[in-house]
Amino acid sequence: MSGVPVAEALERVVPARAAHATRITVEALDKRFKTAGDDVIAVDNVSFEVRQGEFVALLGPSGCGKSTILNMVAGLLAKSGGRISIDADDVVTGQVNRKVGYIFQRDTVFPWRTVEANIGYGLEIAGVAKAERDAKVARAIEVSGLAGFAKSFPRMLSGGMRQRVALMRTLIMEPEILLMDEPFGALDTHTKLEMHKTLLEIWERERQTVLFVTHDLGEALTLSSRIILLSARPGRLKEDFEVPFARPRDAVSLRETDEFGRLYSHIWHSLGQEFRRTKAE
Amino acid sequence: MIMAQDRPRILFWQLTILIVWFCIWEWGFELRKVAALKPFVPSLLDPYFISKPSAIWTSFLKLGCFTDKGGFGACFAANPNNLWLATMVTLKNMWWGFLFGSTSGIFAGLILGRSDYLSKIFEPYIVALNSIPRIALVPLIILMFGLGDMSKIVTAWIVVFFVVFFNTFEGTRSVDRDQVAAARLLGASELTVLRTVVIPSALAWVFASLTPAVSFALIGVIVGEFIGAERGLGKLIIEAEARANAAEMMVTIFVMMIVGIILAFIVRRVQAYLLRWQPQFEQPQ
Repeated sequence: MSGVPVAEALERVVPARAAHATRITVEALDKRFKTAGDDVIAVDNVSFEVRQGEFVALLGPSGCGKSTILNMVAGLLAKSGGRISIDADDVVTGQVNRKVGYIFQRDTVFPWRTVEANIGYGLEIAGVAKAERDAKVARAIEVSGLAGFAKSFPRMLSGGMRQRVALMRTLIMEPEILLMDEPFGALDTHTKLEMHKTLLEIWERERQTVLFVTHDLGEALTLSSRIILLSARPGRLKEDFEVPFARPRDAVSLRETDEFGRLYSHIWHSLGQEFRRTKAE
Repeated sequence: MIMAQDRPRILFWQLTILIVWFCIWEWGFELRKVAALKPFVPSLLDPYFISKPSAIWTSFLKLGCFTDKGGFGACFAANPNNLWLATMVTLKNMWWGFLFGSTSGIFAGLILGRSDYLSKIFEPYIVALNSIPRIALVPLIILMFGLGDMSKIVTAWIVVFFVVFFNTFEGTRSVDRDQVAAARLLGASELTVLRTVVIPSALAWVFASLTPAVSFALIGVIVGEFIGAERGLGKLIIEAEARANAAEMMVTIFVMMIVGIILAFIVRRVQAYLLRWQPQFEQPQ
């Protein structure tokens, strides 16, 4: 879509930091919710690290607390115990970190703003000059396949296109760290694959540090370089492993390889146990 | 679904209803003269009560200073509460009442809608004040602000305030939390969130209250003028009532109707522009 061969684009990438510097640290993280009767433990003693330029998927069955973990990393939700830091700075609940971009599962595009005004929102409120803003927005619209819809209001767009707007609205702020909460969870299979293609193209060019929450194993394998597998509630770390597929990846043909199939059934077995546990309770 | 080819038929029926209505109004009572029809003609059709279109038209020409022997200018100057000045005064009072009522309603709705703490504190007072029929306050307001324009403005203000306040409050309450969080994560301060997310999102609710608020402002001013005033359309009606002149009352009522239609049209146009992002206001392509 961008017209630049991916391999060539890759060579232009100059990592801003040492390739393996730790960006996100989560240590002994706990989250308990108070309900009428007793405390519900949602997240139990979870620790992991995300290094510079990694694409990490946080995978687990529904209700395992993976979105809760992400929201605590984003500072949207207070933790009950443990430590979270981004670039060695402790995350403070309610405080926005400019290095971090966040994508919601739900549609959070502003319906009263046109596509271009939505994408330019962050730049606009930061006081970026209109000429510079317009140029950046035009480029983002081009890259995301929204050409021709710049002046449209979101209600005229499909769910997939609205999520593209939300994605570009965040990416235009050039976040170094991207937190994504099942961003394609509400989309149909075909639209999901299209979104995977776009995200892979952008990520393989820009190599943000990504923490991506999903319950879709195929999605996690397609996109990520590492998968952190969580158990059913209470969420505990179950497995943490590298995804060995070479880059650049093709979202469609990757799924047809034997290696993909083998890895898929291996994790499926592991994940399957967790699903059965969730149902039994 | 209404098709384009149905339009002439709809227009035909609308015109038919209008003509039949006016015919009954004008000549209906005459049918009493026919002995056989007398039991079927209610006495309320008597022009003494409801006047009749021809008399209303004559009365309009007289009140509007079109048939005065001294000419328009002299008639206009002779009566400080002639139809035109009365309309202007009522419109002016209504406008200020609407403006103060809606701005203070929006302001209070936004503040209490954004603060759980303040809304808890004020909740019992608002419920209590809202339970008072606003019209019951009019004699008190006239006592406080006199027979002049101020008491009419205050009446319209109070009537409009509550309507707009409750809608703005609900609209502010129902702002999507994730949209607010998304704005914050993109770097918006609390004030920027208010300006760029809360207000645009609550605007649909605010506008839903502005169309009735226009009618309410008119009601507020007219009731104020009924109870005690020196001029205005309400005063004209009360004077005509004293003389049992149904035709003059009807003229005033028609003027109010036209004023109401024009104002509602203006509000709807502004609403359609500001809420053009909503599907029901989609412009035909």
